[in-house]
Amino acid sequence: MSDQAPKRLSVSERLGLVNYRNQGRTDARAHIEVDTSICNSTCSHKCTTRICPAKCYTLDEHDQVHFQFEDCIECGTCLYACDQGAVTWKYPHPEEGRGINWTLG
Amino acid sequence: MEDKFDCIIVGGGIAGLSAAMMLARGNARFLLIERGEFCGAKNVSGGVLWGSDLARLVPNYWEEGLGFERFVNHRRLTFMDEQSAFSVDFKSRHFEETPYAGVTVLRSVFDAWLADRVQEAIDASDQAEESFMATDILVEEILQEDGRVVGIRAGEESFHSDCVIIAEGVNNLLTRQIGLEKDYVPDTYVAVGVKEVLKLDERKLMDRFQLSGRSGLTNEFVGMCSDGVEGGGFLYTNRDSISLGLVLGMRDLRDKKKTPYDVLNGFKEHPAIADMIAGAETVEYSAHVVSTGDIRGIPSEIYTDGAMIVGEAAHLLLNAGKAIQGMDYAMRSGILAAETALAAKEKQDYSSSMLSNYRTALENSYVLKDMRSFQDAVHLLHQEQMFGAIPNLICDFGRQFFTIDSEPTPKASSMMRASIKRHASYWELVKLGLKGARAI
Ligand SMILES: Cc1cc2nc3c(=O)[nH]c(=O)nc-3n(C[C@H](O)[C@H](O)[C@H](O)COP(=O)(O)OP(=O)(O)OC[C@H]3O[C@@H](n4cnc5c(N)ncnc54)[C@H](O)[C@@H]3O)c2cc1C
Ligand code: SF4
Ligand code: SF4
Repeated sequence: MSDQAPKRLSVSERLGLVNYRNQGRTDARAHIEVDTSICNSTCSHKCTTRICPAKCYTLDEHDQVHFQFEDCIECGTCLYACDQGAVTWKYPHPEEGRGINWTLG
Repeated sequence: MEDKFDCIIVGGGIAGLSAAMMLARGNARFLLIERGEFCGAKNVSGGVLWGSDLARLVPNYWEEGLGFERFVNHRRLTFMDEQSAFSVDFKSRHFEETPYAGVTVLRSVFDAWLADRVQEAIDASDQAEESFMATDILVEEILQEDGRVVGIRAGEESFHSDCVIIAEGVNNLLTRQIGLEKDYVPDTYVAVGVKEVLKLDERKLMDRFQLSGRSGLTNEFVGMCSDGVEGGGFLYTNRDSISLGLVLGMRDLRDKKKTPYDVLNGFKEHPAIADMIAGAETVEYSAHVVSTGDIRGIPSEIYTDGAMIVGEAAHLLLNAGKAIQGMDYAMRSGILAAETALAAKEKQDYSSSMLSNYRTALENSYVLKDMRSFQDAVHLLHQEQMFGAIPNLICDFGRQFFTIDSEPTPKASSMMRASIKRHASYWELVKLGLKGARAI
């Protein structure tokens, strides 16, 4: 049998391969806080909903921005890409936060 | 003060570990703090570690053969349009000599290995009981007194030292905190790196890429790989996997309203890539910000009273098309900062004028020399034509040149003229060509 082209992966399939810290923890401390009132009022481009490689920023059917930190892979993109001052970005707390634990990197 | 360290290093990536190795060898008493569960747990790169500094840190590392994946003896630069790939390909026995000119690495493996070598150096030093590497701890603040850096705070605990080496990587929150970088850094001089590691049976991988023993291939891509977004792609061979990814200009990605994962999907489906990764299975997906290597991205200063900034925290990186050099720059800058710290210890002078020797040493090294002399190439790489017209033109020419179709064949020069006509204006190209010739 000849080798098949790898199948197209969705973001969630890709994130399924990521080894997160504190996976089981439901009360993990957020390392990124987003003031979505800015996203949903003055921000005209909402670029983080496209540029975040882990799709942590999403748009609902009413074009409202939502953010969740649990899938964040700590790349740092939104720290620069948000030019509206809506993002407060820190590194996750090693014990109480989420964040990644790369196995290959 | 008894419990004061000579030096505290924040970050156990390549820059921090390289500094630590030199401090251990110099018998300094130091503390390295890494926020990851182990060194490497938080780090992503392409990655090829270029240059020979690794052999300075770990002499004869190739004998044991641990830490790295493959040494590079085969290099390729590929221009892509939608259907074609035109490559410049170079393979040489010269690259098989040690110290190798480049090795491929996976950072979680490599950094952890290097950290073990540093620990061995600590154990062999006069400060075996007094120097430490601590993981799983986040440095939250750089402590300052009267404008001098005096230590760090992690949670409730403070540690003091004569100097601090900040090796925190490109997302440099602490460098910002001490005012060497603005609080908000716009996306002008940074890119988004996205990557997959694809597992492939070792034997198959070696056959497919014509590798022998531990030799490896590096392949950079320009053109259709990035779907019209400024940037480029890479494919590097590891021992039994392939690192495949893209570095995409953040501003351009944002303006063109594309998503990094979709652009990566397109890249993987390009016929040239699809053939290389057939049968391989994605085992990790990762992403990280990476500096563009524009010298204007460097913080206002890279030292101050009691502190030095090393590695990508200082935006030390060169990406002029043929390779990304961030890890070797991290290594060299870490080494130079440690040497400055050892000299400062000798004189018991950690003032900013003393630590300015780090900047001088960096200016005199290949790091800042190359960054300065290749800025034109960096800018050229960000020109629209470089990821559109030029690769299209080259592939168009390639298609004509390599087609043999039982018709009278035009001379290469007229094929070239035809390709140019189709994809660019002649003058535009002459101007670009002149710029390019001067830039590289
Ligand atoms: C997709 C991609 C491809 C790349 N390809 C290449 C390549 O092929 N070749 C190349 O040379 N370079 C490449 N680079 C660039 C290279 O990865 C970086 O330049 C290099 O990792 C910088 O090393 P560093 O030690 O300065 O920073 P990092 O490797 O980022 O290390 C910083 C360390 O500090 C720790 N840290 C940060 N803040 C704190 C804190 N507050 N407390 C405690 N610890 C902290 C982090 O956990 C991390 O371990 C690539 C980058 C990307 C994203
Ligand atoms: S760019 Fe900033 S303000 Fe706009 S949607 Fe994203 S996070 Fe919100
Ligand atoms: S750091 Fe990266 S992965 Fe995390 S939310 Fe921001 S853009 Fe998304």
